[in-house]
Amino acid sequence: MKKPLPILLLLSLLTGAWSDGEVRFKNAEKAVASKDYPSALSEFEAALTADPDNIQYGSEYRQAVIQAKEYDRCIKFFEKLVADHPNSPNAYLNYGFAYVDKIPAAGTITQVILANTALTYFTKSLELKPSWIAYYTRGNSYLYWPKIFGRAALGVADLEQAMKMQKADSQKRSYHVRAYISLGDGYWKTDQLDKARAIWKEGLGLFPDDIQLKARLSKEGDELKEYIDDVLDPNKRVDTNLQEIWTNK
Amino acid sequence: MTRHARLLLFLALLPFGLLAASPDGSSIRFQEIGEKVKARFLHHTRIFKGPKADVLGMFTSGGSGVAVGDYDNDGFDDIFLVDSGEGRKHHLLHNNGDMTFTEVTDAAGVSGGNDPLSICADALWFDYDNDGYDDLLVARFGTPLLYHNEHNGKFRDVTKTSGLNKFGNTIAVIAFDYDNDGYLDLMFGNYFKPENLLDLKTPNVLPNDLDNAINGGGVTLWHNTGKGTFVEVTEKAGFGKHTGWTLDIGHGDFNNDGWQDVYLACDYGTDRLFMNNKDGTFREVTEKATGYDTKKGMNVDVADYDNDGLLDIYVTNITDEYMKECNMLWHNNGDGTFTDLSKETGTCSTLWGWAAKFADFDNDGWQDLFVVNGLRSAGQENYIPVLVNMITTPGIDFTNVNNWPSIGNMSWSGHQKKKLFRNLGTQAFKEISAEAGVDNDLDGRGIGLGDFDNDGLIDFVQTNADQPSLLYHNVTQPHGNWVELKLVGTKSNRDAIGARAKLKAGAMTLIREVNGGNGYSSQSTLRLHFGLGATQKIDSLEIRWPSGKVETVSVPINKISRIEEGKGVVK
Repeated sequence: MKKPLPILLLLSLLTGAWSDGEVRFKNAEKAVASKDYPSALSEFEAALTADPDNIQYGSEYRQAVIQAKEYDRCIKFFEKLVADHPNSPNAYLNYGFAYVDKIPAAGTITQVILANTALTYFTKSLELKPSWIAYYTRGNSYLYWPKIFGRAALGVADLEQAMKMQKADSQKRSYHVRAYISLGDGYWKTDQLDKARAIWKEGLGLFPDDIQLKARLSKEGDELKEYIDDVLDPNKRVDTNLQEIWTNK
Repeated sequence: MTRHARLLLFLALLPFGLLAASPDGSSIRFQEIGEKVKARFLHHTRIFKGPKADVLGMFTSGGSGVAVGDYDNDGFDDIFLVDSGEGRKHHLLHNNGDMTFTEVTDAAGVSGGNDPLSICADALWFDYDNDGYDDLLVARFGTPLLYHNEHNGKFRDVTKTSGLNKFGNTIAVIAFDYDNDGYLDLMFGNYFKPENLLDLKTPNVLPNDLDNAINGGGVTLWHNTGKGTFVEVTEKAGFGKHTGWTLDIGHGDFNNDGWQDVYLACDYGTDRLFMNNKDGTFREVTEKATGYDTKKGMNVDVADYDNDGLLDIYVTNITDEYMKECNMLWHNNGDGTFTDLSKETGTCSTLWGWAAKFADFDNDGWQDLFVVNGLRSAGQENYIPVLVNMITTPGIDFTNVNNWPSIGNMSWSGHQKKKLFRNLGTQAFKEISAEAGVDNDLDGRGIGLGDFDNDGLIDFVQTNADQPSLLYHNVTQPHGNWVELKLVGTKSNRDAIGARAKLKAGAMTLIREVNGGNGYSSQSTLRLHFGLGATQKIDSLEIRWPSGKVETVSVPINKISRIEEGKGVVK
């Protein structure tokens, strides 16, 4: 009878150490692993309800939503979440991404509406907390708009802000390469090719193995245009997994 | 290996096959001769009244139809051009046989229809009473007009007694014998729901959703009783549930069973494919055949572009800087499914597409493709950013015409160069519009194909909204051999619409079907045209008539042959 006691004690300590949100999140991850998406979505939602501003929960939830193609459910969930927790910048960020995630599944005009709505919530997130991820996200989103809408300059402004923040960061983080790529794309889209090449080169100096920077710097003219147009094609799914944020703090 | 897998394997091997199958070196060339031959006429869109006049004008600027047909049986195809402006007359152009035309509209009595409460949009030649002379139908945002051909160059308005008395905002019409009873029936494609836009009772007439709209006019199907009248059978035939914004209708025998099937191109949402049940009804097969799309379907043309014995479908959509839909080239897999090969074949992007027509312009045995485009060419300012502000307004009601911003003098997908794709015979097309001389930038709408000088090369009329029509004379040299067939039904409908000719010459097996108005806002010649390349001899020519009768005939090359059902070649 002596053996079980420490195990029980350990278990009770462990469960005591985990918040409700963490428990539900673990359950959700298990459900995702077994491709039980209905259970996964419910568990993720419970986890987020317990910890609404958890960027990881929100991001992983959306990845499961993409697998389950339950975009509208996700949007509705975040709508309620931010209504209940109006001061949660990461909840707003994930809310915006929920609209972005739906774009490839929508018609061309609905895509515009979704993209525009996403920008609204990215802006709200920025207003609550002007973070690197919020500037980068909104800035990058502007770049997907065709030139005719004149939004690329707004994207450049946000991405320059993100660049400032990362340059002030004493730690080099793997995801910082994204700002070099996108800011260069923004310069390219606003017809500042020299600045584009300069920022891509600067990025390559810091991230010498980055294939996206190498690809851009190896192309010119129509070939470069074709490459960037392809990258910024709204019909293609954008990788909105924010995993790098918590794996590379 | 499934057909789909075989097709993918074939596409994977394409780069190795391109050179081997390259064409014979002929160059497709056209000369625009509209003015010179008196076939150039300015089209007028309808001008609305009231504060949102320009928005309604824009939504109804799709007309400018053209119908090609030999109304006087003199062996030369004539041209009917539709106008849409209030009080404006259409243009019936009699082909003089020397590649000049004479306008005979007033004498023929077919100038009318653009009254204060109706807008003419499309036209169709078809012999509804099988008397051997093609009659004329003018489709309208309103009730249609049916003119009986009196065999003396004059037409008599028989609309009142025809039974075609139902209001519809009709933008497309086809004639086909859906029940193979020997009489041509009519299907109307209706854009708006049946509200008279010229006498609006409600502002809520525009699409309820810009990608999945279900508040359009759908289609109506009218059965020809054989007694000079038509009876509506839309519900009975299985089309009653379709409430999309129909912009074009294409028919063809997609499963080679001898019965005509129907593809509907719909703006603001899903195109629909209906297969013929052979009992007067149709079943919708969209989900299995193509899947549901959210694009802006504008055109349906039907042809066997890859000479595999199955009819394929080409649909134009909108592909522009601000909207990347891509057209759809539905390759018929022969198992009830279709695969979109527009990207793979290079026919994906034609900007704001309207009519598109397949034809073998250089007689090499492969059907090329001409596509017109362009919505509104006006001032330098672009309507799109203005429109997007409206579209992205939270909770906006798209159906309300008052919510749409005025367009004024702004352009919207204007000044677009037309696209001519040469079929390379390897599941690939090459865009050659500039070198072929057809890269005009007018606001195109319809394409009426016809061999107007009977020289074996297909010419065409291009109609444009608020702009003059163009007539392109095909001057391709060198070009391949050819045959043209004028089919005349006896048990089948007299126009032989739905008849299929299968021609074998050397390694080539080509199929053509007579169609009654496929392609946006335009009807092409009822004659069948085959390019034969260098082939000097036809090994066999088989006609399958809508009646079910199959005949084998022998025709000379480089000639137009008239073939009557049951009699073979008569001229």
